[in-house]
Amino acid sequence: MSLLKKAKMSNNIKYWKGEEELNRDPQFLADQKREFGEALPLEQALSDEGFELNSNRRDFLKYFGFSVTAVALASCYKTNVRHAVPYLVKPEEVTPGVANYYRSTCGACTAGCGVEVKVREGRPIKLDGSRDSAISKGGLCATGQASILSLYDTERLANPLIKNQEVQDWSTVDGEIKSKLAVLKATGKKVVLLSNTVNSPSTLRAIAAFKETYTNVEHISYDAVSYNGILNANESDFGKRALPHYNFANAKAIVSFGADFLGTWISPVEFQADYGKNRRPGVEGGMSVHVQFESTLSMTGTNADHRFPMQSSKELAYVATLYNYIAKAKGIAQIAVPNNSELAGNSIEKAAKILLKNAGKSLVVSGSNNTEVQQLINAVNMLLDNYNSTIDMVNHSNQYAGNDAAVQTAFEGLSKGTVAGVIFFGSNPVFNHNKEWAAAIAKAKLSISFASTKDETAAVCQYVAPDNHFLESWSDAEPVKGLVHFTQPTIAPVFNTRQAQESLLNWAGALPNNEIDPLSGKGILSQKLEASSYYLYVKNYWDGILGAEGFQKSLEMGLAETPKTEGLAVYTGNVAGLASSITKAQASQGVDLVLYQSVGVRDGAQGNNPWLFELPDPVSKVCWDNYVALPKQIAVKLGIDKDATVNIEANGVKYENVPAFVQPGQANNTVSLAVGFGRTHAGKVGGSLEKGFASIGVNAYPFMSTTREVVIGDVKITKGADKYVLAQTQTHHSIEGRDLVRESTFTSWKKNPNSGNEKSATHIYTIWEKAEYRKDGSPNHLWGMAIDLNACTGCGSCIVSCSIENNVPVVGRDEIRLRREMHWIRIDRYYSFVNEKQTMTRENDIAEADANDKGNYSHWENVSVIHQPMMCQHCAQAPCETVCPVLATSHSSEGLNQMTYNRCIGTKYCGNNCPYKVRRFNWFRYNDNDKFDFHFNNPLGKMVINPDVTVRTRGVMEKCSFCVQRIQEAKLKVKREGGNMKNVQVETACQRACPSNAIVFGDLHNPDSEISKLHRNERAFSVLDELNVQPSVKYMTKIRNTETI
Amino acid sequence: MLNHNKYNINSINPLFRCILNWKSCVQFISIGLPWVVYLRNDIRFRKLDMNINRIKIWVVAASFAFTAPIFAEGAPNAEEGKKLYDANNCGSCHALDKKLVGPALRGVHERRSEEWLISWIRNNKKFRESGDADAIKLYNDYGGAAMNIFENLTPAQVLDIVEYIKTAPAPAAPKTTGPAIASDAPVSDPSTKYILLILVAVFAIVLIVLARVRNTLKRIAAESSPEEYSELQGNGNFLQRLLPASLAKMNPTVLGLLVTTIVALPLGYYGYKFAMEEVGVQKGYAPTQPIAFSHKLHAGELEIDCKYCHSTVETSKSASIPALNTCMNCHKGVQLTDKYNGEISPEIKKIYAALDYNPEELPGKQFGDNPSPVRWIRIHNLPDHAYFNHSQHVVVGKLQCQSCHGPVEKMEVVQQWSTLQMGWCIDCHRNTGIDVANNNYYAALHEKAQKDLTHNQNHSQYFGPDGKVKITPAMNGGLECAKCHY
Repeated sequence: MSLLKKAKMSNNIKYWKGEEELNRDPQFLADQKREFGEALPLEQALSDEGFELNSNRRDFLKYFGFSVTAVALASCYKTNVRHAVPYLVKPEEVTPGVANYYRSTCGACTAGCGVEVKVREGRPIKLDGSRDSAISKGGLCATGQASILSLYDTERLANPLIKNQEVQDWSTVDGEIKSKLAVLKATGKKVVLLSNTVNSPSTLRAIAAFKETYTNVEHISYDAVSYNGILNANESDFGKRALPHYNFANAKAIVSFGADFLGTWISPVEFQADYGKNRRPGVEGGMSVHVQFESTLSMTGTNADHRFPMQSSKELAYVATLYNYIAKAKGIAQIAVPNNSELAGNSIEKAAKILLKNAGKSLVVSGSNNTEVQQLINAVNMLLDNYNSTIDMVNHSNQYAGNDAAVQTAFEGLSKGTVAGVIFFGSNPVFNHNKEWAAAIAKAKLSISFASTKDETAAVCQYVAPDNHFLESWSDAEPVKGLVHFTQPTIAPVFNTRQAQESLLNWAGALPNNEIDPLSGKGILSQKLEASSYYLYVKNYWDGILGAEGFQKSLEMGLAETPKTEGLAVYTGNVAGLASSITKAQASQGVDLVLYQSVGVRDGAQGNNPWLFELPDPVSKVCWDNYVALPKQIAVKLGIDKDATVNIEANGVKYENVPAFVQPGQANNTVSLAVGFGRTHAGKVGGSLEKGFASIGVNAYPFMSTTREVVIGDVKITKGADKYVLAQTQTHHSIEGRDLVRESTFTSWKKNPNSGNEKSATHIYTIWEKAEYRKDGSPNHLWGMAIDLNACTGCGSCIVSCSIENNVPVVGRDEIRLRREMHWIRIDRYYSFVNEKQTMTRENDIAEADANDKGNYSHWENVSVIHQPMMCQHCAQAPCETVCPVLATSHSSEGLNQMTYNRCIGTKYCGNNCPYKVRRFNWFRYNDNDKFDFHFNNPLGKMVINPDVTVRTRGVMEKCSFCVQRIQEAKLKVKREGGNMKNVQVETACQRACPSNAIVFGDLHNPDSEISKLHRNERAFSVLDELNVQPSVKYMTKIRNTETI
Repeated sequence: MLNHNKYNINSINPLFRCILNWKSCVQFISIGLPWVVYLRNDIRFRKLDMNINRIKIWVVAASFAFTAPIFAEGAPNAEEGKKLYDANNCGSCHALDKKLVGPALRGVHERRSEEWLISWIRNNKKFRESGDADAIKLYNDYGGAAMNIFENLTPAQVLDIVEYIKTAPAPAAPKTTGPAIASDAPVSDPSTKYILLILVAVFAIVLIVLARVRNTLKRIAAESSPEEYSELQGNGNFLQRLLPASLAKMNPTVLGLLVTTIVALPLGYYGYKFAMEEVGVQKGYAPTQPIAFSHKLHAGELEIDCKYCHSTVETSKSASIPALNTCMNCHKGVQLTDKYNGEISPEIKKIYAALDYNPEELPGKQFGDNPSPVRWIRIHNLPDHAYFNHSQHVVVGKLQCQSCHGPVEKMEVVQQWSTLQMGWCIDCHRNTGIDVANNNYYAALHEKAQKDLTHNQNHSQYFGPDGKVKITPAMNGGLECAKCHY
């Protein structure tokens, strides 16, 4: 009895997916009752003039006769002649039909994750994290996963451009550029090589060689989203302008001020993997505790145990208060500022206590780009003894090293004419720095861009020398000092492009002599990828360091490690001088605009990648747009309801009618807007002025001032005149008040590992007998999955991975508005309110809080979130199977719920009867259809298709198959080559991609397998257990470490 | 049946196919003639409207007239002969104006009689053995290189070929060896036949329309002068009047049902069989490939192992057509110059052309700068939604290539041997035993099943009637959808 009561208590937290669900919006409730997102226009069609439903026998016979004849004729088709074109000379390592895997380095951002590239018949078709890489640790983020499609982007330049005219011949381009460079050198005019962060040793050598020839060249780098705050703080505190290398694996207490380190900050894949290790309650040394102070509800914030809203402009005051608490405890002089204990209640004091308790294994980070904030953060970490434990300043990170001040100087020089030439390498300042760059570039005597598409900056440059995609390039990267990753091409250049480094060496006259192909001297074999002269350059360099054999081995591994430097960076910082700034920050008034990177699109460099736009934001679940995220407080003040827009003005930049979105968890007096959107020269997907494609969202970069601050004070915000419907996936279904997610606290878990998961459904009656194959001891496999809600951060990497692996089409904004997204896996995000004491459980609590709030809506700032990946649950007693009239969905003896497309006639009964709403209907033929102008309708974009998975056509259902193609492949390998299935790990695409290893897959009939252990775990629960559909997927109850305070 | 080499029979519209066949002709006439008789004999019509009736008869007659040339097994056809000439690769040993392996063929109809040619071409060995002096002499003149046997050709087809040789134009320009690129044109071009088919359909529609007009007229007649009409109508309906008196007395409904059943059952059966076994099935598909590679020679006579060329069959889902460098392993040396008057065999030249390889250049440079891949025509085309893995069947299932591909080593031109229908796959999955003992995977599975057997009787499925273990793929889930469809 008492158990039941307890169960009731722990499970009646009021969860909701969106405001409309919470408030029981009548429209939302009505929508939930309907099968389709919009009413089918049947009535309209039937009421059209000339259309009569009164048909008679004769009409029937006519149509019947015609149909029979038509079907008879159509079935007697003449098969097309299909060709098979084998290699002329087959490379030895290629076996048609079998994938090759190559180690390389991801080039989607400068974090430098090691990747494994899956190559089929010479086409890279999938990227996954390399397990040996200390950065990716086997996972890869959504942005990295999706970057493979940028290789097959039709917007890529096929040839170099001279004054916007295509030129086939590189020698013409080289000739003109060389002569101009020579003139500039002779006349002593300055040339700036403006790149993003370059951490590739060989590229830096190439740039040095270029500078050696052209002594008038200066190399400056900047990053679209700047880390100068940390870089400058470290320069003053440690005498070293570098990012520290954070080690979240050692951190048992983490306090983050607005740093979205799981989503977008510095090296999110690495941080997720390390962070995830300490998030499981059973981990050695206990589960870590994570405190987050922030304005925007970031993905990292949703994973925190304690999340406190913070107005970002007051961040300095918050950090100073934390410093003072810790200094006080350590007996060190505090900064002489009035202590602000009332900041966010006594949250800072709580955070300080947690940190002090975990001193030496704690970590304080901040996402601010303000040097003073970062100096204080350094000081706090120093007091807590975190250096050399969770922070490594000796073997520092090279992942971001831009210099904003230098870029500003270069920009001014270019505007004034003191800089006469400019070369853009991986940078696109017209889009992501300052729009005035366009005018400044026009004044230059020589302007060159290495962009691979005609982006905003390339469009105003005299020359575009298109760079290869990273999958076509030779290179290396040193993301962290002493850790080198190698990049090797996995496909010959698709277009007439050339590596930027090779171009630089060519212009400098420093190219190594191209190796003559020993076999032919020319001809077929000279197309070998290794024949690139940049390969020789990289090889010569690394041969010298690793030896020829060492280099070859390192290439195979994808990395080389040099011994770590021991020692401790000397801290010389002093924070006493910050007092006046802190006092000023405390007094900050008005509304802040906080710019952030969305988890998929990031800084917008891959502005034409439909996978990233289709990926729902982990928190808001909005796709295909950026929006102004408002707190309830401002929304109510402005009278903003759903589908509204706002006008926003700050720093002299004004946008009108930007879609507005009321974001639970958004701190009061702040609004947020994602950068990376609003591309004007991205292409047909992301927007192109030139070609007449509308931009996606608005460009938020112009709001940044020259200091590249992401927090902009005193923003003016008013209600916009227009209405705008955002495409949002989460509210497509209703929870219907059911118990879908379970949670508990770490304290309760320690007492009772079953905590939060006591409720188990009693199944009185079932119409099924237990299938033979499911019984213990059955010789078959029984495939199952377990997902740890504690480890899942909601990042969406699995969604993109699944889409790539299973040829899931992109459907676009309009279709998503109609609830027709096609993703086989989605991540459900559930909000619940938390107040000071506890999680709000009852609806009247919420109503009470609303009533007592007096316009602050402070409970709307405090939401707690659970992410739950949801895909086909492969139920043993699947409701979908019993309703299919044609047996298109059936059960296999290995526990898989099979979907047979060639059998499906599209009744959608299965989708209707699925309690998890994971079945997706192909409303259209998404391939070869120009109405879905993304990547499936052109031969180049189709090259990414996985040849082992059917491309579905219109009118059939589809859903997660547990990556049955991978299961079959693994089984076949054992059957063919021997070995034991017990030792073979079958990995689904979502599992392979997951940076925090939240997903485990395997054979439940093997009692020793990890999956079997997890299914037996006390935390394991099935969603909608009461239905007795017996899903093969189990979730681990979410445990929050909230009691530490 | 028609020769497979002549048409890809399955590619021709089946509706049309039936009129290419003399049996169908008989059927057509046997159905069409009673119609004509019926129409002519219907005295009601004579009275009511002769003109319409006449038109109807003409329509039927015209539709027969139109198709008449197709039924005629008439004069030799040079066009067909050319197709046969190419399809049977006569050109690999013969030229019209040049002595190759075999003699130059121009004027052969003047040198030999038709009967002699038919006997020689269809089976020269038998012909020689029958003691024909000319035949033996010819054989000896050509160094005892026996000509292939072409019993697949009918005498009429041989004459088609002779007709082609008779009418073939003399060579104009010196021959050139272009790169081996197969044309994208379909293997046979039945477009004209489609037009005929459409015409037949049009006539059918006209027939139906006229039948309706007839009914209308009948109605008008009945309304305008009922007495005369009923008098004209005679006794009983059409069927009853046709039948002997004894049958005609039967209840018209019963009679109608009886006749319908007798007609409908076989028709339905054949229709179903046709739809299940023939529509979309490409069994026998034997397209002309860009290089006339002979499996009969390489796999049959020279006994080269299938896996030498189809080297990925044990590791990959695809057996793969070999890359040309595999051909070059032998054909750098083997050029068959002795057979072609010192010239390189034209088919081997195609390999060289594809690789842009110049055999006269000194070794060292292997391949040229302008290679052009060979576009082979795929014979086995599984639909995209079916996954098939060769290595699974060859290595794990230990199947012989011939189990599915037929006697390839005897095929001059490779053809699709099996239907590749799902039923065909499933039959094999049901009946073929798995070699449990010699495979780790299945052995482990089996061990577990046996262990379990002590407390679970339901595993009796794994035992054959003799009590011995026989596990088939079907027992191990080999019939489940997602084993092949994903």
